[in-house]
Amino acid sequence: MPSRDRPRALYGLALICLCLAGCQARSVWLFHPHGAVAAAEFHYTVIDFAIMILIVGPLLVATALIIVRYRKGRNARYDPHFKKSRVLEALMWGVPIATVGVLTYFSYQAVYLADPYDPTAIPRSLAEKSRPPPTAGRTSHFAAYPRSNGTVRHGPQVDVNVITTDWQWVFIYPRTGITTVDRLVVPVDTPVHFRLTSATVVNDFLIPELVGEIDIMPGMRTKLAMIASRPGNYRGYSANFSGGGFSWMGFTTTVVSRRAYRAWTRKAARAPDRMTYAAFDKIAKPTINLAEKPMYFSRTQKGLFDHVIRRVLTGRVYETPLRMTENMTKPLYVKVLH
Amino acid sequence: MFVHLQGSWNPIYGRLSLHEIPFKTQIIQGAFFFVVLTALAVLTAITYYKKWRYLWEEWLTSLDHKKIGVMYIVLGLVMLFRGFIDAVMIRSQQVMAIGPHSAGYLGALHGYLPPYHFDQIYSSHGTIMILFAITPILTGLMAIMVPLQIGARDLAFPYLNALTFYLTAAGAALVMVSLFVGDFSHAGWVGLIPLTELPYSPDVGTDYWMWAVQLSGIGSTLSSVNLIATIIKMRAPGMGWNEVPIFTWTALSTSVIGVTAFPVLSAALFMLAADRYLGTHFFTASFGGDLMFYTDLFWIWGHPEVYFVVLPAFGIISEVIPTFSEKALFGYTSMAVAALAIAGLSWMVWLHHFFTMGAGPGVNLFYGAATMLVGVPTGVKAFNWALTLYRGRLRFDAPMLWCLGAYALLLIGGLSGIMLAMPAVDYSVHNSAFLIAHFHSFMLLITFAAIAGYQFWFPKVFGFYLDDGAGRKAFWFFSAGTLAVFGSLYALGFMGMTRRLDYIPFVQWRPPLIAAEVGIFFYCVASYYLVRQLYVGLRDRKTRPAGADPWATTRSLEWLTWSPVPAYNYPVLPVVHGRDEWAWRREHEYVDRVPDHYFDIVMPKNTSVPLLLGALSFGLGFGLVWRIWWLCAVTIAGILLVVIIRSFDNHTEHTLSAALVAKLDGGEGGLPDAPGSVNPYPSPMPVPFFAKTGAVSRCADRVASTLREGVVAPGPLGKGARR
Repeated sequence: MPSRDRPRALYGLALICLCLAGCQARSVWLFHPHGAVAAAEFHYTVIDFAIMILIVGPLLVATALIIVRYRKGRNARYDPHFKKSRVLEALMWGVPIATVGVLTYFSYQAVYLADPYDPTAIPRSLAEKSRPPPTAGRTSHFAAYPRSNGTVRHGPQVDVNVITTDWQWVFIYPRTGITTVDRLVVPVDTPVHFRLTSATVVNDFLIPELVGEIDIMPGMRTKLAMIASRPGNYRGYSANFSGGGFSWMGFTTTVVSRRAYRAWTRKAARAPDRMTYAAFDKIAKPTINLAEKPMYFSRTQKGLFDHVIRRVLTGRVYETPLRMTENMTKPLYVKVLH
Repeated sequence: MFVHLQGSWNPIYGRLSLHEIPFKTQIIQGAFFFVVLTALAVLTAITYYKKWRYLWEEWLTSLDHKKIGVMYIVLGLVMLFRGFIDAVMIRSQQVMAIGPHSAGYLGALHGYLPPYHFDQIYSSHGTIMILFAITPILTGLMAIMVPLQIGARDLAFPYLNALTFYLTAAGAALVMVSLFVGDFSHAGWVGLIPLTELPYSPDVGTDYWMWAVQLSGIGSTLSSVNLIATIIKMRAPGMGWNEVPIFTWTALSTSVIGVTAFPVLSAALFMLAADRYLGTHFFTASFGGDLMFYTDLFWIWGHPEVYFVVLPAFGIISEVIPTFSEKALFGYTSMAVAALAIAGLSWMVWLHHFFTMGAGPGVNLFYGAATMLVGVPTGVKAFNWALTLYRGRLRFDAPMLWCLGAYALLLIGGLSGIMLAMPAVDYSVHNSAFLIAHFHSFMLLITFAAIAGYQFWFPKVFGFYLDDGAGRKAFWFFSAGTLAVFGSLYALGFMGMTRRLDYIPFVQWRPPLIAAEVGIFFYCVASYYLVRQLYVGLRDRKTRPAGADPWATTRSLEWLTWSPVPAYNYPVLPVVHGRDEWAWRREHEYVDRVPDHYFDIVMPKNTSVPLLLGALSFGLGFGLVWRIWWLCAVTIAGILLVVIIRSFDNHTEHTLSAALVAKLDGGEGGLPDAPGSVNPYPSPMPVPFFAKTGAVSRCADRVASTLREGVVAPGPLGKGARR
């Protein structure tokens, strides 16, 4: 038996190495956060995992050793009456309870740092930026966050109103009146505050490298805030199934320098199309934007976001056609943008 | 009509028309021919071997809890196969449809399944696996083993037991019919709201899902009632709460969940039905409806449901590990308390399914902490199993291997579960492949344990062994498959992949998806070996009969009676002396006693009423799905009529005379071995309560009080012993 076990163990080891190598790859988005909120989430993922592996790891190893040692025929000590031990039972209840206590403490820290509505990770990261790094050599995710002393200045911020339709993303920049579809452009190192609602069904907003999820619900408004620490293109998509076009319901988030952002705003403000209530109705009809072709609108009719919520509350639906849901041979019976 | 329906409707056929049968879809054609051919083969075989009468009398109309349990498990295995095919299709579609340049077949843009077909497949996969595969298999095991473990002749309500089975079967039949007539829900097994509302699901798929789940949910509620009544009222003399076998404890905890949680599901589904049929606004986004209300209600049922299926699995592990460790379960009291604690905590955690809805940090923190608390009793169970193994004499028969696999999955799934319980972590992996991998760790834990339970108790119920070698091979391939599929999905979760994707937009997700596909291949091999295990067992059944105690080191009460178990379970109800009654008797050398008295046994008569009610419920469900109102009216009237007629039937029981029981059992001048059984073991009997060992004195009062009611009359020590 042992001779057969060895290659199995070797394969296991090779597999683990492969997995660890995989974690180094940049494609493992959650391990390479580029925003303070995502970084906080990842930081606590690591803490949570580390604490749990302290319990689960030894238990797994101990069980494996027991299984090897007490195999029948090995003549290890056999004690059929070992079925009760006050000390061990106190430990097995006590240790998990204590662990839950510790984890809850960390969970308490994390839940405020990554609170979608008002993540304290954002002011902390801004405060961190404005002072020299505390200790050289430590990586940024693991560095202790400086305690907030309530004196963080509120610098510039960008507001974006997000409306999901079947199956596109509408981003409204209320300050500039620009509206984009399936393309989000935000400046680097600047807090971005989202207000989100849906014209049809529930979606989840997610940009894995920048910020965690928040539900987007029809007739309701949720909020989310994020900050990006490095320019680049980041993938965003819905994480909650919303119908036939769900798999193609993505958008690109482009993080640019503040100067480039201002330039982009000026350029977008010259786009010929305008986003009116009627134009929105057209976009909100079931549509699959296969290649995620972005659309830009230079002006937006005032109060579109609240208008959509109000309309949904008073019964506006954008019906999914029956022939689409019943069909299983043709891909889609809706407008498809290539 | 109260609502706006897309498509046509007429008073005779409702929404049904020839156009609703997907003739043109090749995949469904294939499935249709497969099902028709299989059904023809089965029907032909039954006719050829002239087994129709046997099937009707011995199985379909039987009220015997063991036979109903076996039918539950067969139903579960058939649906498990269907759910597995769905899984194969999901994984294949995802591995084929990666990136914009991937090819499309059979009319799909990418891969071979167009979006709404794929969505139906993952929805039916979830619905089937949880409600029509795992739940029936575990309910079946509980229906068989609980009465045996507590020394009862049947469940408290044998007729109700059959009814619950046929309600579940009717639900399963609705799911199967949806494959060929119309379509199934595309809104997930959870019924994502408001996607399930009429404007976004104008087809009948959601109705199929809704009524199928409704029927099986009513079945589960009633079977929980049955189990609770059985466990509380029908324990054998001498079995106090401290002597209840651990599987029965978990069955009790599960049933408490079942009886409290399932009505919530029923209510939520009835409200959803009102929205879809009457145009109400319980869960719509508009006119004062509240869609998160549905989500709340669903998960108030949905999370306890997870523990509803995981607790019996824990019970099975707690029975198998001591048997193959040749020692008693460590920390019996802790185990029982932990099972009840899990059941209790299951009510406090449902909000963790939607941490992302935008609740405040305080709310999320509370539910996160409550969720972590569930880890405490679960951890206690893991520690107890490890300590049960410690200083044992471990044998690795197939059931033991499957339990150890379940144990490993518990630790992995528990670790990822605690990670998800931290709201901030959940924000980044909610609805991702990581979550899929997490709950499949638990679902597979349950599957591993259920397979262990099936292999462990099979010799008891049927009287012969399954093939051990094939069972072990199946275990290794199944484990390899689990590692490949769900290891990959854990990784994909961190890579950002979300669930329910018909098309994979990012090519960097390809390698893990390929690894997962390889895992599916391992699962296929494993299922071959599982079938082979049963086949070899059946083939060699004459040469490999199992005794009363087929594993030689079993512990609880059920191993004390014949294998296969006679219809009346115990010729004379046993008296219980210790926690592990059979182990206690083995230790004190009381295993070879036979009764010196036999008594008349009252047994329920066969009845076809539950089958009829199940068929009518199926008709009602079908009528509701297609809005064929006359069919609904007819079936409702039929159900009422059948129930009323049955209530006038006063002759629902028959009596086996003491002489007959004695003859069957081989005592009092009867045959040395009961007919139809090649059991070499003498039938055991209650040990007289005047036993000289001190261990029984504690039970003596209870036995005496039962005696006065005339349930059991043990003779003096030694009399009737067959030495």
